[in-house]
Amino acid sequence: MYRLGVDIGGTFTDFVLLEHATGVATLHKQLTTPDDPSEAVIEGIDYLLKETGVDISAVSSVVHGTTLVTNALIERRGSPTGMLVTKGMRDVLDIAKERRYDLFDLRLRFPEPVVPRYCRREINERVCSDGKVAAPLDRDEVRAAIDELIVKEKIEALAVCFLNSYANTDHERQVEELIQSEYPKLKVSCSATVFPYIREYERWTTAVMNAYVQPTVDRYIRRIEERLTTAGFHGKIHIMTSSGGMVTTEISRRFPIRLLESGPAAGSLMAAQVGRELGEKRVLSFDMGGTTAKGVLVRDGKPLKKYELEVARVHEFKAGSGLPAKAPAVDMIEIGAGGGSIASLDDRGLIGVGPTSAGAFPGPACYGRGGQQPTLTDANLILGYLSADSFLGGKMPLNFMEAKQAMEDVICTPLGLDHLRAAWGVHETINEDVARAFRVHASERAFDYRRSSMVGFGGSGPIHAARIARKLNVPTLIVPPGAGVMSAFGLLVSPFSFETAISRRVAMESLDKRSYDEIFTPLVEQVKAVLASAGVDRGAIQIHKTVDVRYSGQGYEVEVPASESLDTLAETFRSAYQELFSSVLLDEQLEIVNWKVEGSGPPPLSAAKIRLLAPNHEAGDIVVGRRGAYVPEQEAMVDVPVYDRYQLTPGFEFSGPAIVEEHESTLIVGDGDLVRVDERLNLIVTVKLGGTA
Amino acid sequence: MSAIDSISLGIMWNRLIAITDETLNTLVRTSFSANVRESYDLSCMLFDADARLIAQGTYSVPSFTGTAPETIAAMLERFPPDSLRPGDAIATNDPWIGTGHLYDINIVRPIFRDDEIIAYSMSITHLPDIGGLGFTASARQIYEEGLRIPICKIFEAGDANELLLDIIKNNVRVADQTLGDLHANIACNEVAARLLVEFMDEYGLTSLSSIADSIIGYSERALRNAIAEIEDGQHSHSIQIEGQDEPLTLAVTLDIRDDSIHADFSGCSPEVNIGINVPLSYAKAFVVYTIKCLLTPNIPNNLGSVRPITVSSPKRSILNAQDPSPTGGRHIVGHFVTPLVMGALAKVVPDLVQADSGMLSLVNVQGQSPSGRGISSIFFSSGGFGALDGLDGADTVPSPSNMTGTSIEVWEDMTGISILSKALRPDSGGSGRNRGGLGQEIVFRNDTNSELTISCLAGRTEFPALGYAGGQPGALRKCLINGLEVHSKGRYFLAVGDVLTLLEPGGGGFGPPKERARSTIERDVRMGFATREGILQDYGLDILDEPPDLESRFVQL
Repeated sequence: MYRLGVDIGGTFTDFVLLEHATGVATLHKQLTTPDDPSEAVIEGIDYLLKETGVDISAVSSVVHGTTLVTNALIERRGSPTGMLVTKGMRDVLDIAKERRYDLFDLRLRFPEPVVPRYCRREINERVCSDGKVAAPLDRDEVRAAIDELIVKEKIEALAVCFLNSYANTDHERQVEELIQSEYPKLKVSCSATVFPYIREYERWTTAVMNAYVQPTVDRYIRRIEERLTTAGFHGKIHIMTSSGGMVTTEISRRFPIRLLESGPAAGSLMAAQVGRELGEKRVLSFDMGGTTAKGVLVRDGKPLKKYELEVARVHEFKAGSGLPAKAPAVDMIEIGAGGGSIASLDDRGLIGVGPTSAGAFPGPACYGRGGQQPTLTDANLILGYLSADSFLGGKMPLNFMEAKQAMEDVICTPLGLDHLRAAWGVHETINEDVARAFRVHASERAFDYRRSSMVGFGGSGPIHAARIARKLNVPTLIVPPGAGVMSAFGLLVSPFSFETAISRRVAMESLDKRSYDEIFTPLVEQVKAVLASAGVDRGAIQIHKTVDVRYSGQGYEVEVPASESLDTLAETFRSAYQELFSSVLLDEQLEIVNWKVEGSGPPPLSAAKIRLLAPNHEAGDIVVGRRGAYVPEQEAMVDVPVYDRYQLTPGFEFSGPAIVEEHESTLIVGDGDLVRVDERLNLIVTVKLGGTA
Repeated sequence: MSAIDSISLGIMWNRLIAITDETLNTLVRTSFSANVRESYDLSCMLFDADARLIAQGTYSVPSFTGTAPETIAAMLERFPPDSLRPGDAIATNDPWIGTGHLYDINIVRPIFRDDEIIAYSMSITHLPDIGGLGFTASARQIYEEGLRIPICKIFEAGDANELLLDIIKNNVRVADQTLGDLHANIACNEVAARLLVEFMDEYGLTSLSSIADSIIGYSERALRNAIAEIEDGQHSHSIQIEGQDEPLTLAVTLDIRDDSIHADFSGCSPEVNIGINVPLSYAKAFVVYTIKCLLTPNIPNNLGSVRPITVSSPKRSILNAQDPSPTGGRHIVGHFVTPLVMGALAKVVPDLVQADSGMLSLVNVQGQSPSGRGISSIFFSSGGFGALDGLDGADTVPSPSNMTGTSIEVWEDMTGISILSKALRPDSGGSGRNRGGLGQEIVFRNDTNSELTISCLAGRTEFPALGYAGGQPGALRKCLINGLEVHSKGRYFLAVGDVLTLLEPGGGGFGPPKERARSTIERDVRMGFATREGILQDYGLDILDEPPDLESRFVQL
């Protein structure tokens, strides 16, 4: 049997077909079709099956990473949605955070809520912050409000958002049950079910966005199902969540907000696997595609998690100009830096690259599809890092003259630079942007990147990874085989998983073992039920419990594993706190704020088992040629060897400057770096440290 | 400057900003007070060895970064650089040296590399308490406002000044939070030092002077070029604002000449005997901030943005208060320097200015939560943002300072004080071609088991946010206790069950109301941002609240 991974990105859609028994993988990459992404999906599957001669009926499952939810929110293509909200609180979505995300820009803009004010109805109920009911729920009032929203506003989905529901979900649940029995066609999202955390603005915004895309996701999944079924597919479709676990289409339809970072999460999971197999304690996962670059920190084989994402930024992609979505997610720093990132001069007359991307259409100038603005890919072509003839294994010729022209018009002429210097400026600006984002991200999490290894992947990642590693003083870079489509690989090695949490502030002093267990029990049950419904054997479910703890009075918590004993919990917290802030121990009480349970099934396949099928390659020369590439240490184009990655065998070593090509990506090895091929065909780059200036 | 230099400059400049951002993150994560971690009442900055401001953390408060260059200069006069040692940290909260009131602690650490000072890192936070009456505008003398810490070493060669910390501990209400925040300030500047040394090692720099020259020079040139492009001339403007009993006058004359601007505050009301007096450095910070917003909003802030601008004022005026005038609520008056300067600039750059904003309101609350925990915390809330040419004012956005609003659920959980409603005020934005942002109404009830002491710290109860270019003013602010209006700068006691209501003002409009597009007005009515009656009154139009075009609502505007 076969399994298929399909990852839709902003520029390219990646495919991996994996034969389960042998671990043999075949890859494919083609441009995304932004208007209807399912088009490229079906087309690419068709191409890959033809190429390999595999019949679609032999495919047992398709695992999908999709940007559908993100795009529906950015483009406001969801469905008419209503909101029921506690009396007095209807305007919380408009009032928002009462904060300017830019101090000096008076013309800043704020995102509109996805549910307009007239689609919200206030309900006379009230739960206090301690969970006690101050005003009971009136079901007739609820019915009247829903009837009116259906008739007057034609809503297809409804978000139920009550104040303090994180402390007591009863009123929200009652409304959900009423809808299920009396309005079965209406999609419903309850705020504390979607994500049960304190802070009404963030929780409610998440719930209304979830409701808003529920009908869209429902229809999209049905369309893919129908098209695949028509083509003869009998298997199952699974979808990747932002936290790097697989879920059924049923869960995707209930919690579409968990699909926001569907594809990128898979890549970091694969990086974590690679790191685990090489025994790395700390890994920096660096993924760069056509539109964005993603960084994830991996500690002890697990990507760090977070619980808030920001979507649909409305003002120059600035942080703070989007809508917050609370959902479990891989803690990813995402910056607008990819091959398609457009270079221009900022107000200071300095080079800025991204976050705007030329995307799949028109794409970089060198794609020859009418793009006029220079992009990072154009710079990399000018610098000799990419070759006009071997991009995507030669399937997509690039136009050098177009790249050069665009660079001259926008950068060279105004700054009086030659095109090589300009291209290097663009390239190095991205390196520095990525390094800076990593540095801030890592230090916020007290992660010492200088003692970690980087795993570099994505269509553009390996071009930049070694140089960025050098900037960060990261001594080792790992580039796995098939690095250009690694997120799609990640889809195939991810287990089923589901995660839930509640927010309940409890002083550790007043907590006994029984109440501690009582808080966890329903969470564990919920997680197990979800996984069992996906077909995971109850006995094979692994449960991982954590709590967020802080000194009473602080606003930020430290996540620690929820040990069986309460005494060790306090100890674990204290040592974690000291390690993070190296501060004196404080004589304050401890409190638990959030309780989280993550469950997962067994992984379908180990990454170590995967063997890449070289595309139509006979044994041949290891060095397939030489070409001029810019070497910054010499400030000049230097003739460097080009290695054919498919010919490299375990144990082979060479040093930079050098270029290694495979179809989906190109590795640039810096001056003084050493490369070794390991038994699994990973390229292990020992980075020459000591500054890049 | 040659072009290859401009590439390196951009990269290194952004890196220095990133260092201040990391410093700021460390401060927020280790803080014990809601002022810092929820509302970002703070700043983090980096100075070169000559104490020149070169970078600030993105979420810094504008006034703090304006006063900081003078603060550090005074500190280095008291403790000359060659007397400083690694592990030293200098502190003060003196209003005339620091940020204008006692509640902000200013902490500076010299950064050493190879036994030599290469830079200074500075952080400022609003402390949860500093003794006295607590954060209020009600003090008659500065001595009632709390402890005044002269320029001193809070850490010396790595050792804490225990006597100073003990004195503070014995004089404040929430000692744990206050000392916790002092330590957070010390720690974050340590992080800045580590990151800066790393950066210099990586680039092989022995001094920041040349990069500082470039950054400051670049920024200064950009601002001077922008000033040179606007017409020379003198422009006076004055506004009235609320005082204790009598209104106060704020006046400014901007002298725009070549590539610099001088602001003179002659004509302002004299100092008053409640805590709303403004030290000049605080007023100057808002002059600089306002000019920068209009002329070079996209250049990162540093000393270069300050240099082309000078300020003067007669002594003992409300904007140049002298020791020992009380200054606790100096922001209530000081924030109005922004609309004051904006009004003068409207005569030169009428299409760039922003109509007045409703501005921030602060309510400081002291008491005990139902769980018995001490409360000394500020509730921040915002009025509407002023409209700009072509852009409606955003609803409920702070101006000119940038404190973040307080979450209802976090507030209720922390204090036990219920929030019964938090709603937009329809029709409260001033009408115009572009309307002002809406204010809001917030209703609190004391559901703790004991009496609360509250201090209101806000204006705009008599003088609304004015519109520009024919735009109309926004609605006024009100504070009510149990339905009765009280003074917006008063200190009150709330018994159990008492209800406090805040009506936050709307922003001013821009351009004549009759030029507002009918479709936009219809949308405001449909959204409920305006009422049918309000539209009839403000625009003379009768709009049904059910426009036929239902599709348009799902199109992103």
